[in-house]
Amino acid sequence: MEQPQSLVLMKQRAEAVQTVVSEVRNMREAFDYCVELAKKEGLQSIAAPGLGKNASALGTICKKNGLNFLTKNLREHIGRIGTGFTVANWGIAETATLVIDSGSEDLRIATMLGEIHVAALPRSRIVADAAALEEELTRMMKTTPSYLSFISGASRTADIERVLTIGVHGPQQLHMLIMEEELL
Amino acid sequence: MIKTPHDLQTYRKDLKGALRNQFLGKTLDTFATAYPTSRANAFAGIDFDTLACEIAKGKDESIPKLESLLEEFTAHAREAGAVVHFARTAFEANSIIASIAGENGVKKIVKGKSMTAEETFLNAHLEREGYEVTETDLGEWIIQLRGEGPSHMVLPAIHLSRKDVADLFTKVTGEPRDPDDINGMVKVARRELRRKFIEADMGISGANFAIASSGTIGLVTNEGNGRLVTTMPRVHVALVGVDKLVPNLRSALRILTALPRNATGQVISTYVTWITGATECKTADNGRKQMHIVFLDNGRLALSKDPLFSQALRCIRCGACANVCPIYKLVGGHNYGHVYIGAIGLVMTYFYHGRENARAIVKNCLNCQSCRKVCPAGIDLPGLIKEVHGTILKVEGKKPIRNVLLQKVLPNRRLFHSLLRQARIAQKPVADGGFIRHLPMLFSGNHGFRRLPAIARVPLRDMWDRINPRVDNPKYRVALFGGCLVDFVYPEQAAALLRIARKRAVQFEYPLGQTCCGLPAQMMGEKQTARAVAVQNLSALDPADFDYIVTLCASCGSHLKENYSRLLKGEGALAVKVAQLEAKVIDFSSFATRVLGVAPEEFQRAGQKVAYHAPCHLCRGMGVSREPRELLDTAGLQYVRSGDEEVCCGFGGSFSIDFPEISAELLRRKLDNAEATGAGVLVTDCPGCVLQLRGGMERRGGRMQVKHIAEVVAEQRKS
Repeated sequence: MEQPQSLVLMKQRAEAVQTVVSEVRNMREAFDYCVELAKKEGLQSIAAPGLGKNASALGTICKKNGLNFLTKNLREHIGRIGTGFTVANWGIAETATLVIDSGSEDLRIATMLGEIHVAALPRSRIVADAAALEEELTRMMKTTPSYLSFISGASRTADIERVLTIGVHGPQQLHMLIMEEELL
Repeated sequence: MIKTPHDLQTYRKDLKGALRNQFLGKTLDTFATAYPTSRANAFAGIDFDTLACEIAKGKDESIPKLESLLEEFTAHAREAGAVVHFARTAFEANSIIASIAGENGVKKIVKGKSMTAEETFLNAHLEREGYEVTETDLGEWIIQLRGEGPSHMVLPAIHLSRKDVADLFTKVTGEPRDPDDINGMVKVARRELRRKFIEADMGISGANFAIASSGTIGLVTNEGNGRLVTTMPRVHVALVGVDKLVPNLRSALRILTALPRNATGQVISTYVTWITGATECKTADNGRKQMHIVFLDNGRLALSKDPLFSQALRCIRCGACANVCPIYKLVGGHNYGHVYIGAIGLVMTYFYHGRENARAIVKNCLNCQSCRKVCPAGIDLPGLIKEVHGTILKVEGKKPIRNVLLQKVLPNRRLFHSLLRQARIAQKPVADGGFIRHLPMLFSGNHGFRRLPAIARVPLRDMWDRINPRVDNPKYRVALFGGCLVDFVYPEQAAALLRIARKRAVQFEYPLGQTCCGLPAQMMGEKQTARAVAVQNLSALDPADFDYIVTLCASCGSHLKENYSRLLKGEGALAVKVAQLEAKVIDFSSFATRVLGVAPEEFQRAGQKVAYHAPCHLCRGMGVSREPRELLDTAGLQYVRSGDEEVCCGFGGSFSIDFPEISAELLRRKLDNAEATGAGVLVTDCPGCVLQLRGGMERRGGRMQVKHIAEVVAEQRKS
């Protein structure tokens, strides 16, 4: 297992692209993190399409904290999406990349048009580099139609005088929650 | 609209204007200074040269079979629900895209950044057809609003200041903008463009990859507009050059390793998106997006079949060839390309946008090899630029007078050398004013930024026997390849070499049949002449007769070592001789340190402080950078590093005649850097650089001396 080394590299590289990394034990802790963050940033909603059976747990926490919980038809909510929450399929340490199967339109909208993107990543899904995922990614691409995203940091530009500026079109913050436990 | 000058005079006027633009000069200079460091950090742990070789190899395997890769791609993409089109020309591509828009009742279009769409002038076409087109990459949006083309392939608005952008955004939004609030301006784009994404019926993207084995397109972006363009509207059209086809994901990932690192010094761009087929789109009729992929030929397939120019299709559009170009740094992309800019732009302009647009800009290359060294696909950019230059001269049949004369004179060594001797007597233009001024490039009257040296009273060939004693039982035999400058202008540099080698039982020879190496001819696009003199030199210096062939001139050395094999490729025994010659050619510093093995005991200690200028053709052309610095140290000199030590001095042979203003500016910066070290001597190891640097130093009345490394080393010897 090269985990520890990959984990160290992942954290180090993530920092370089302003991704906020935290470690959590399980989905429950990830949800709590997500909700606390939304409250801290003064956001009104959490969009989390594609959570399956975990959705109701997050929904309950949102309700308790007075946050709107969105899971589908996100086009109708554009402009009102605070945090987009997703679970990443893979993590690539070398480039601090989250690999996210984004076939669902709602998932794409949640991860692009929210102010903040929070992604949970099971620790066991971290690989050293993209080459290690070559077969897996090819398989995913061949399961068509397919929309596969590599996300490494928050949306950025340097188009005005080469000054690095975060948050052009996409989220202004990216949070990576490295999760000890596998998904249930 | 993009206007690229069609003649040298207009072009020079534009260049002078650019040189006066202080913002541009400063911003590009800052970029050029920051880029190498961030690039090096991004490549930490990766062997760049190996990666570049692998990318080149992969591309070279794909390029001859683009048509079959296209078939394979098409089959997979269709299976996944995409529609694949093939456009032979730019107009066809634009028309296909316009009809897709028409058939789908599209009104508003959002676009992601695509150099290929810039190539076809797609926006202008769609706007003429009545569509509203909005660029969504921030830099592209800015230049679209200004009605300009990109000035860099990756940083399209790098030529603009924050104030330019603030003024523009004030106009667009009707609210005053603070130029120093860049974050605020970015948020203007976020707000304005988000509305556009939501309203648009069609999204147009380019693609960095088209993966044949799965029918997938890959998009690399930082802002995230690529994901929105391909998600929000119900129709997605990707315009893709056929050269973007790769066989599989592995090839794409290999290119992805290099692309962001080389482009912007990032280990990866923020968003890399892989799309296969018609993905979910809830506003589309059947819940799936209308996905179209338009492949563009526009001359690429013709290029792919050429043994030499096919390598241009290896380009991955990282823009690094501009980032490191000393000329780009001075004048910016609007003066260094047409649509495609930088070194690759000079080549592509000819093939994609025609001879008229390429004619003037293609001359603007120093052949300093910086772009070639940084190219992640190993494209011989300076070589291709010269080929295009030569081709344009040939087809237009309107050669500058100096080309015609050079073509006549250079292949005839006796005539050439007798003209040089006559020039000494007159020390002014003889025969034809244009001729002597340009041919040896020594007599130009109207280039006041540097003083030009006089022709030596006695050329090296006439003093050779006197200064080169015969050696009994020599250990090895060495031929000196002089080159025009050492032979006729700076014979003292050869004399210094002989002094250093004295008492070492080495027999030097100076074969008198040798002549100009031919690089000036190649630089002027005269390949035939370059070939003719190559054959003469090869006959004069039979590699079988010598153990080493030493050059004091880095330009001659790298030309002999690299270009002769191309000039004489496939010419049977001659080609073999060239390979043998290459193996024996060695530069002075390497010869002194590794062959002669000079040792500190031979030299006085506590020598003076010296700065060093690394000639392009030595550090990049011949790949020698350690030896000269080591030699200075061995010779007891205190070498002090100066800024931009490996940046071209601006000589570039005939370049300095065509573009004196650029040559002068590069020289000014070089001398400023050297003087800032506080050293008393500026040392270099190429007589061409000596000519430029010494001439510039004299003109500015600087106190530093400029010397060839052989001279300073010889002076340090204990008597």
